[in-house]
Amino acid sequence: MLLAYQMAMENPKMVLAEGVEAMEFQELSQQYGISGVPDTVINAAGRVVGAVPEQQMLAELIRTLGK
Amino acid sequence: MEKMLPDEIVKQIRDVFKQLKHPVELLFFGSQARCEYCNEIQQLLEELIPLSGQLSLSIHDLEQEPDLARHYQVEGKAPAIVITAREGDQLTDYGIRYLGIPSGHEFTTLIQSILLVSGRDSGLNPQTRAYLKTLTTPLHLEVFVTPT
Repeated sequence: MLLAYQMAMENPKMVLAEGVEAMEFQELSQQYGISGVPDTVINAAGRVVGAVPEQQMLAELIRTLGK
Repeated sequence: MEKMLPDEIVKQIRDVFKQLKHPVELLFFGSQARCEYCNEIQQLLEELIPLSGQLSLSIHDLEQEPDLARHYQVEGKAPAIVITAREGDQLTDYGIRYLGIPSGHEFTTLIQSILLVSGRDSGLNPQTRAYLKTLTTPLHLEVFVTPT
């Protein structure tokens, strides 16, 4: 979660990073089919399951957003 | 009212908060309509804030302050904590939110995110910084966690 926060901090006009507690926001987590945590949803399209290194998260962002 | 943070934990947090470089303000958004644990979270934050002179807190209600909720993109998302950088009266929104109860491991994450914002630097590597700076479409990251 901290990695997502770091990313938002770098460009807060474009990036919104939310840590979502799955128990309290059950509807949302069911909507995405969250089964394990941490699970990062990128623009409601990309997914990164588990805590991953910065490089891998960046690769997933590029894959989801393009460029 | 009984304290939520035990003395030993308070001591540890005080020590960690010595690293705080710049002021941080937490905005807590509760909801009278639907928020089972809002009182507890508010109390927790109210116990946390006095542990450093760099910290401040403001308490809000989603229904009573819809414009502010919209501004911070937390509509319908109580309980929500927005972690901002404060310079005097000026708040800078870094796009950092925690939705839910910050207990267990997530309490540690809350402390870490306060340290992060206080440092005013993401600490990311140059390649990641460069990519994020040139984003042309908004990026929304939702990181699901459970309070283990």
